[in-house]
Amino acid sequence: MLDGNILLHGLNLAYELATLALTTLGLAIVFGLLGVMNMAHGEFVMLGAYSVVTVQKLGLPLVAAVPLAVVVCGALGYVVERWLIRPLYSRPFDTLLATWALAMLLRKLVEAVFGREYRNVESTLTEPMMVFGSQYPAYRLALIVLALVVMAGLFLWYRRSAAGLRVRAMTANPVLAQALGINTRRLASQAFVIGVVFAGLSGVLLAPLIRIEPGIGVDYLLDAFFVLVVGGLGTLGGMFGGVGIIGGSQAIISSVAGQTSGYAVVLMLSILFLWLKPNGLFSRR
Amino acid sequence: MAFFRDAKSAAFLAAILVALPFASSEFVAYQIALFLIYGIAAQGVALCWGRLGFLPLGHALFFGLGAYLFGGMLKGAESIPALYLALPLAVVAPALLAYVIARLVFARSSRSGPYFSLITLALTMLGFLAAQQWSGLTGGFNGMSNIPDIPGTSRYETLYWLVAAVAVITTLVLAMLAARPIGVIWEAVAQNEERLQLLGYATDRVKANAYAFSALLAAAAGALFSAHQGIVTPQAMSFILSTEFVIWAAVGGKGSSLGPLLGATVVGYASAELREQFLYWEVAVAALFIVVVLFLPNGVAGLLKRRADPRRSADSPAPAGQEAATSTAPVSLTLDGVKTAQSGVTILDGLSLALSGPGIRCVIGPNGAGKTSSFNVITGRLPLLGGGVTLNGHDIGGLSAWRVARKGIGRKMQVPSVFVDLTVRENLGLAVWAGRASAVDTLRRATLGWHTSLLAEILQEFPALASQLDVPAGTLAQGHRQALELAMTLLPEPKLVLLDEPCAGLSPGETHQMIDAIKTLVSQIGAAALLIEHDITAVDAMGGDVYVLHQGRLLDKGSLADIQASAAVRAVYAGGRK
Repeated sequence: MLDGNILLHGLNLAYELATLALTTLGLAIVFGLLGVMNMAHGEFVMLGAYSVVTVQKLGLPLVAAVPLAVVVCGALGYVVERWLIRPLYSRPFDTLLATWALAMLLRKLVEAVFGREYRNVESTLTEPMMVFGSQYPAYRLALIVLALVVMAGLFLWYRRSAAGLRVRAMTANPVLAQALGINTRRLASQAFVIGVVFAGLSGVLLAPLIRIEPGIGVDYLLDAFFVLVVGGLGTLGGMFGGVGIIGGSQAIISSVAGQTSGYAVVLMLSILFLWLKPNGLFSRR
Repeated sequence: MAFFRDAKSAAFLAAILVALPFASSEFVAYQIALFLIYGIAAQGVALCWGRLGFLPLGHALFFGLGAYLFGGMLKGAESIPALYLALPLAVVAPALLAYVIARLVFARSSRSGPYFSLITLALTMLGFLAAQQWSGLTGGFNGMSNIPDIPGTSRYETLYWLVAAVAVITTLVLAMLAARPIGVIWEAVAQNEERLQLLGYATDRVKANAYAFSALLAAAAGALFSAHQGIVTPQAMSFILSTEFVIWAAVGGKGSSLGPLLGATVVGYASAELREQFLYWEVAVAALFIVVVLFLPNGVAGLLKRRADPRRSADSPAPAGQEAATSTAPVSLTLDGVKTAQSGVTILDGLSLALSGPGIRCVIGPNGAGKTSSFNVITGRLPLLGGGVTLNGHDIGGLSAWRVARKGIGRKMQVPSVFVDLTVRENLGLAVWAGRASAVDTLRRATLGWHTSLLAEILQEFPALASQLDVPAGTLAQGHRQALELAMTLLPEPKLVLLDEPCAGLSPGETHQMIDAIKTLVSQIGAAALLIEHDITAVDAMGGDVYVLHQGRLLDKGSLADIQASAAVRAVYAGGRK
């Protein structure tokens, strides 16, 4: 039999990594494939969480938050890509600032509509179940499994499908891709929308587990950035590596020396990578 | 008078700030002072971002450090008066830290892209954590409180005047710097850092100095903040404050000295007043920021001012360059088995060639022979993976671009690269100052008027440049751009000149004129020159030996007639062998 304590630690670590992977995914698409430093990434996660709040307020079943988040984030993502990102593709600083301004706008808008206070989503999903003789919340287990399934699906789509090939072509050489008849403008728009929808969905999934307030986006944004910086852009392997290093070191050091130390170590790791290995650990270059 | 022109914005600011307490009340002045303080830090952000083109996202680190250090020393000085003498350290120490950070980061990569911004951001967050954690020093979450007044001031009355004075001084100093040679160098960094390195400027140091100065402004603002508030909390070092500096700088005008200060004061004060009254006020501020980023790259100040006043000064002779004074020995260059590769593809595969003494030699060879790449290895743009490069007996292999330039090698790029937003005069000035101007010279207005006998000769050879001195270089026709870049390559009076297709894109008449000019000017400075050329009539007109490169090696060398007679060369050009 497994030692229950070790199992619990292992599951907790897996849970931390799974949530980190889910919240990073959207940015991995937008930043990793399109090269857009989307500072509003965390706000899309936040919007997803508030979709659940809205649904609950209306007395609808929580599942209804999924289509709501897809519609809200998708529509917003399309508008943002079309009128904010597209004019700025060749100006990285301005993209960074414009999306930062967008993040502020979304944050303040949600603050004005929903108020500044913390919200909790009431749900029966967080009740524990028995795993190998230990108690563990079923919802967390489901998240771990879901994260694995989504990753595997995305990997297959990216490596095997025709659309994935087009995306890889665009990332590798946009001009050549265009010359080959790939509509990179539309593809970029689609990739951006998919990226922010993923961000929104991760917010929906996390909503029952976190305290929701308008400012939660920043933490998700920074963690996701650090994962991608450490892992390197544009490869799923890099993203896994980044999730492992950032999430793993944060979880382990937090449990040994406290949350602040865990976060400090993540920051220091990120600074070292940005400084010494800006292309990341698993970069193709 | 030049000084009065620079002082215009500072004088305008001074007039407003003097009138303010009388027009409103001491209390309003006290409140405004807080945003003037933030504005000084925003001026620092704007200096790096608007002038040098890299965005510091974490200036609250230096603001907060200045605040904690200054506040802590003021408190300590109540029992140990000697600490009053150490107060300047509160401003100097953060600037030193900034200098060290920037040197470390920029030395590794000349790219000042968003990664630098993210590093500064992460550093600030680390600072924030530290400020919260070391509560023994900082008071932790609750902050360092009960900070006494700066001696001779009182928080609610006279401190305003100190803040106003500092704001006027920083505005004046920034405007003066921008109008001097250092301002030209800053803009050149933003426009084309690599070109500037080829002229011999250590751009990583230029950027580090500017970053340290901007951190000094932030730390000074932080020091005033601690006295103004009487309490410093970790919020003074937060990510949020850092980004607010950026927003204020953007809205006010990142390319202006006064703009960021007014941006912070107007937007910041209005926000503080209206935040509570209008639910959607901050949404509106964010929307305004989006509009500024999309449509007003130079903020509100950019709307008011169309074009900066041209920087110029009365002509005065430039001092002799450090290199020119010592160049008595005949120049010699040796490439010995040089190897380089990029992305796994071998480009130079044991290239050996030697030249000695002044005069022009041409380099020819089919596409992909490694002509431009050999120049790139010499000037440090491609890695030296084997062999060695020596100039006048000194090993220069693998040195960075600016060091190679300082050793006396000038380089003209294949695609003419000039500083498009600077005037022709400023472009030429950058080349004249290279290797001649000391740090102090770059702060003196008189340096703007430096000229040399070579410059006079160049302007005679190329009257088109002489007649367009105050025109932005980006508006020059291709032929004139080629002429300008040739002039910039020669003006530092290098011992060895590398010219990469100087006649590309020129009409036959212009080509003829360019060849004459190159021959005259190169012999005037007594330099050796290597010139890449495809046009054999141009090669013939240049005279001198010809080096033939093929597949990363030297295939043949000799007079043009010998080369044309060589069976090996013919085979390569006629496709006889690969």
